[in-house]
Amino acid sequence: MSGGTIFWGSRAVPFLTGESVASALGRAGVRSFGLGPTGTARAVFCGIGQCQNCLVSIEGRSAEACLTICRDGLHVLPEAEGLSDV
Amino acid sequence: MFNPEILIVGAGLAGVAAATELARAGHPVLIVDRAARAGGAIHRQPLPGQAGVATAAARWNRLIAEAEALPIRWAFETRFNGVDHQGTALLTGAENRMLRPKALILTTGAREAVRPRPGWTLPGVTTAGAAQIQLKTMGAAPQGRVVLAGSGPLLIALGAQMTRLKNPPVAIVEAGRPFAHPLTSLRLPLGYLREAAGYMATLLAARVPILTGTRLAAIRAEGETLVSTLTDGNTSREIVADMVCLHDGIRRNDIGLTDCPALSVLRLGDCAEALGARAALEAGRAGGRAMAQALATGTTPTAPNSPLLDRERAAQARLARIYAHDDFAALHSLPSDTVICRCEGRTLDDLRALGPAPRTRELRLLGRFGMGPCQGRFCGEWVARAISDTPQAPVPAHPLGEPRWPAAPIAVADLHAAAPDTGAAPPHPHGVHE
Amino acid sequence: MNAEGIYDAVVIGAGVVGASSAWHLAQAGLSVALVDAEGPAAAASGASDGAVSVASKKPGPLARLATASLLYTRDLAQGGPLSSAYHPRPSYIFGTGSAESAAIDALIAKLAQLGTAVRLRADGDATLLPGVGTGIDRVVALEGEGHMPGYAAVQGYLREPRIDRFWPAPVTALEESGSEVRIVLGTQTLRAKRVIAALGTATPRLFPTLPVLPRAGQLFVTDRGLAGQLPGALTSAAYLLAKTTAPSVLPKPPVVIDPLATGQYLIGSTREDHGDPTRVDFETLRELMLRAVEAWPALRARRVIRAFAGVRAAVSDGLPIVGSAPGYERVLLATGFEGDGICLSAVIGREAARMTAGLSPDAALAADFAALSPARFAQVQEGAA
Repeated sequence: MSGGTIFWGSRAVPFLTGESVASALGRAGVRSFGLGPTGTARAVFCGIGQCQNCLVSIEGRSAEACLTICRDGLHVLPEAEGLSDV
Repeated sequence: MFNPEILIVGAGLAGVAAATELARAGHPVLIVDRAARAGGAIHRQPLPGQAGVATAAARWNRLIAEAEALPIRWAFETRFNGVDHQGTALLTGAENRMLRPKALILTTGAREAVRPRPGWTLPGVTTAGAAQIQLKTMGAAPQGRVVLAGSGPLLIALGAQMTRLKNPPVAIVEAGRPFAHPLTSLRLPLGYLREAAGYMATLLAARVPILTGTRLAAIRAEGETLVSTLTDGNTSREIVADMVCLHDGIRRNDIGLTDCPALSVLRLGDCAEALGARAALEAGRAGGRAMAQALATGTTPTAPNSPLLDRERAAQARLARIYAHDDFAALHSLPSDTVICRCEGRTLDDLRALGPAPRTRELRLLGRFGMGPCQGRFCGEWVARAISDTPQAPVPAHPLGEPRWPAAPIAVADLHAAAPDTGAAPPHPHGVHE
Repeated sequence: MNAEGIYDAVVIGAGVVGASSAWHLAQAGLSVALVDAEGPAAAASGASDGAVSVASKKPGPLARLATASLLYTRDLAQGGPLSSAYHPRPSYIFGTGSAESAAIDALIAKLAQLGTAVRLRADGDATLLPGVGTGIDRVVALEGEGHMPGYAAVQGYLREPRIDRFWPAPVTALEESGSEVRIVLGTQTLRAKRVIAALGTATPRLFPTLPVLPRAGQLFVTDRGLAGQLPGALTSAAYLLAKTTAPSVLPKPPVVIDPLATGQYLIGSTREDHGDPTRVDFETLRELMLRAVEAWPALRARRVIRAFAGVRAAVSDGLPIVGSAPGYERVLLATGFEGDGICLSAVIGREAARMTAGLSPDAALAADFAALSPARFAQVQEGAA
């Protein structure tokens, strides 16, 4: 059941109703979610919100891609790009 | 001033079973889960419109039907951040508030153990559990060439599920030698044997290579592919894949769960003792009844026990013997730049720099092990094993310090929106099960 | 130690004050042992925010000693034991409303009296520091202060190999006879000519008559952002007021936002007289974070990943206790710093070592040290009698 589209940077990524951001990105072939603040690669590891390795910036907040359910129009960026304080 | 509700954290087998028993005894129950639907890890439900990958579906369907007929309040996409010394729980997400429940039942399930190896932080390397959750949610196998490696029955189960969904793994790499213990295996409960036989039949029919007594020593990226080095102690070989799924066992997920003297707290299911689905259901039912009785009599609830739980304990002990291996000794011979703490990027070198017998405080404040957002879930055990002379031996439950909240990171914006509990009725029906 | 097994000095307490004392004793060529019930920086030093701050010190002896210690800390960071522990950085005080603005005026006057160690660099509105909340009336920028995590400072001092170490080893008795002090550690006993007791919150165990109270402070740590966006600690002027009053006077804890080298923020801290480090609660976290976000709105996008409480040793009159221990000839107390030990440790360690070696304190500081003497409590009792 198609749920709409999220944006990975400027790229539109379709998702199914109820699907996590991690799943939608993964099915679109995005498996590296960019870099975190220490320069480590962000990607799905545990898939259930425990390891904190799939953090991305969602609407300006750091959040686990594997726990966040897609909503139409959601803007997602690599975590390190969403961190500026000022 | 306490809220009349009993808070249950986790809508898997144990949590829903406990909720059912408490609701039937007349208690108001709020059950919260981070996921969008009930099911937990074992009974993770497919997305709407996707085919389910049913494992013991009847068990779950009976339980959820029973629960949904009772006045239970459900809050999904809701995170339990912990309980403080006053008995206040913080919930963030769809149900976003502080709550001083009448009692608390924790059913936060299990976590996977994954032994550090070179390359285990590369994109495309996940836990086997992550792949299985994805498979259950989408009703489809992960795409591309997939290697399953580590140790434990989950590898065989996931391999068979992938095979049935038309993408068998390119190999299952098992550090133990589970087929070398036929006598012990035969003493497993019948249900275990039947399930294992089904998986093996599927894997054999599809000619999936199962390499036992073999370790996945290292992974490196070559372009978009992942090259894994396998070793059986004598020879090494390489195997190319698009995805590597690692799994070195199941541990209880009790990180960040503090005891609270101000509140009746019960831990049920895998977060109390990782015994699997049958035990979780049993413990959830028995624990829910125990809590109901304790509330009625003003006593402290005791953790459930039963012949079934004893049987599951014995079965898990047999499985541990069947899957025994010496893979953890590899921690002493890892390359020194191998990442141990994924959150903070701390390596074996960083650990060794702390000297021969670092104390918890040094591990944390100087080594920064356990100081990242996962709270040591994925490094604590390996830090303890790596600094031990006997890395195979059991290690303390919390080698990087006793649990303290938050059980999960607290988004500041959510915290601000979380009004303190005034003891009033629940604020709004947002997130309630439809 | 000498041929009879007697140390020139034993220091009890391996927090930042004790470690500094032991290091200074070793530099003077004395034989020294350092004893701790748990281990290095196990109490307040290890749970501190690490601010080396003169601005937050009470005017008078404490502020003057803090100034001297800041200057000396900078010296010790030039290739000395604190070279990897101390980092200079600017500091900022913010205030809203007339009471807080008056506190800032008083701070500026205090700093001018203390010389040039800490200078006012700028005084303006919220635009002075990009990122500060627009609801903030006034911001002042100070230069000269720095950051020094207590644990790192202790590690720095302990790189000195001539310090013998005993931990975990709680002191069960301290017995003085003739020219010797016996420090009983359960089954083991150390002998010393002199003792420095830098006991912190454990002070009442050996000195029950001293009014040293455990005062807990809750602290919270966020996840990582980009390092360096807030260049130095951002302290509410209400904190300056709080430091000069009893904890109960202010209804809500004032906030201090400390940027860590990791890009994380440390948010503190409460002052709670129960002294129980297990009491860390969501409502306090929320209160502090509400105020923290008003001052530094970007915190709204962060997540809190760690919560803990440290327990400081507070003294009833708000001044530390440094001087000859009541009832002893050969025991010097250096305790009761209530979180100020990070800043004061360099000079306190140096002067405690001098006094232990039989020398007078630095002449310029003698009057200020006299104000810290434990004799002040004896006088109160005699006066009352």
